[in-house]
Amino acid sequence: MTKLTRRRFGVLAGIGATTLAMPAYLRAQGAAPRVVIIGGGAGGATAARYIARDSEGAIDVTLINDADRYTSCFFSNLYLGGFRDFASITHDYATLESQYGITKVTGLAASVDREAMTVTMADGATLPYDRLIVAPGIDLIYDAIEGYSEEAAQIAPHSWKAGAQTQLLHDKLNALEDGQNIVMVAPPNPYRCPPGPYERVSMFAHVLKSKGFTNSTITILDPKPRFSKQGLFTEGWARHYPGMIDWLGADIIDEVGAVDVNAGVVETGFGAFEGALLNIIPPQKAGAIAAQAGLTDDSGFCPIDANSMRSTIDENIFVIGDASIAGAMPKSGFSANSQAKVAALNVRGDLTDARVFPARYANTCWSLIETNDGVKVGAQYAVEDGVIASTSSFISETGESDELRKETYEESLGWYAGITADMFGTSA
Amino acid sequence: MAGCFGVVAVISPVSSSAVLADAAAAEEPTAAQDAAEAILQIEGDIAYGQFLASECLTCHQESGATDGIPAIVGIAKDYFVLAVVEYQTNVRDSDVMRVQVASLGGEEIAALAAYLGTLDPK
Repeated sequence: MTKLTRRRFGVLAGIGATTLAMPAYLRAQGAAPRVVIIGGGAGGATAARYIARDSEGAIDVTLINDADRYTSCFFSNLYLGGFRDFASITHDYATLESQYGITKVTGLAASVDREAMTVTMADGATLPYDRLIVAPGIDLIYDAIEGYSEEAAQIAPHSWKAGAQTQLLHDKLNALEDGQNIVMVAPPNPYRCPPGPYERVSMFAHVLKSKGFTNSTITILDPKPRFSKQGLFTEGWARHYPGMIDWLGADIIDEVGAVDVNAGVVETGFGAFEGALLNIIPPQKAGAIAAQAGLTDDSGFCPIDANSMRSTIDENIFVIGDASIAGAMPKSGFSANSQAKVAALNVRGDLTDARVFPARYANTCWSLIETNDGVKVGAQYAVEDGVIASTSSFISETGESDELRKETYEESLGWYAGITADMFGTSA
Repeated sequence: MAGCFGVVAVISPVSSSAVLADAAAAEEPTAAQDAAEAILQIEGDIAYGQFLASECLTCHQESGATDGIPAIVGIAKDYFVLAVVEYQTNVRDSDVMRVQVASLGGEEIAALAAYLGTLDPK
């Protein structure tokens, strides 16, 4: 099915044309070109499905993920709040394999050899690629906080990568007794899911309130001077959880100092804070494989061409999702899903005769503050002056009606069903 | 905002005659209806529509399942085009949809309508 001619969309004519020619050996052999995707989350799974679906067998797609199931970070706060069970945020790759012909490899991608165009797995297996999509999400910079480590996260979970950490935090939250306090250390920018820490605190408060714990408090120690949807959360906390939540920003605490997870103490420039439950969310960087492959810059994330999500460092590699530097787009599952579609189209454009169209991106982040009290922020994006820029946006307003907030929450449920179906090819 | 998705959900794909019947009841075609009619004259590019629709399918499921967000696969072209124009002109009220369709021109809307019309709910 692979054809040699290339029809390019007019707007993009000439852009990167020299980089997009089909490898000569493929023309000679007529073999299906190979795409390898590292990471089976909102970016990687979506890219795999769209390439497989739209190339109709003309491209061989291999999806690497380090587990045989995927637990979504998005909606994991709702699990903490008791609004979802763990099974409902956990998905498998069976449909991608059976209905889309995608080869799923379960294991850790250890290294990328960009010269040889191969990915080597931790078990030594080598996977050659014609195009590579890197979608590893984030890694946590544990040592950015004195006293914190991967080991310490077993006592003071971050739960910023969903799975066992999420369940650990859930269990610790539900083991609290009235009068015991929670301290959260929020992350500095840029980080995955900008409203996430504050939705999480809302879910903490919901659980404590539901149990009638009137003597427990939640303190947020934030290295930022402000945060996403701040007005909406502040209003919601005052309305639903009066006196329970204290947010202390950079103007007050100056900085987060050492953490003693065994004593349950966090030092700051404003003194020490003690909690029976510490939720420490450290600074973040692109998933380790991105740095190993030499795709990151000094920021720890990966520069990309805004028109395609192609790495500016290697024309045969695309980086999508949290690991990428995507201009005005936040690091979110929705963003990753959106970027995956642009990357998938450009990969098909590289390897088949698929036409390539101008990039478009979108994102919406919904947050739940209390039962049926949902809020959202979203935007549409396009490429302006070489970067991904917001072209229009919206945000929920303070003082909205209960009816509207309930609709917003219900809309988020529809979105979750939709994006997971879009990622994994499943249908309700 | 209230009920915006519900409105779309309960009115499954309908023919232009039904839409135009509503217009007749309102005597004069609305500006949105005039704009929609102009877009319906454009031949939609299905390949372009396939890419553009990928953005829609994050929420509107490809299978046709609804789960609180209405299906758009297999939707009648005239109904779809009018709905998009009405979101663009605030006749329909939805923050998400207003932003999603804001940058769609006539060619894009026609392409989307052409592609979505090729899909069958499963």
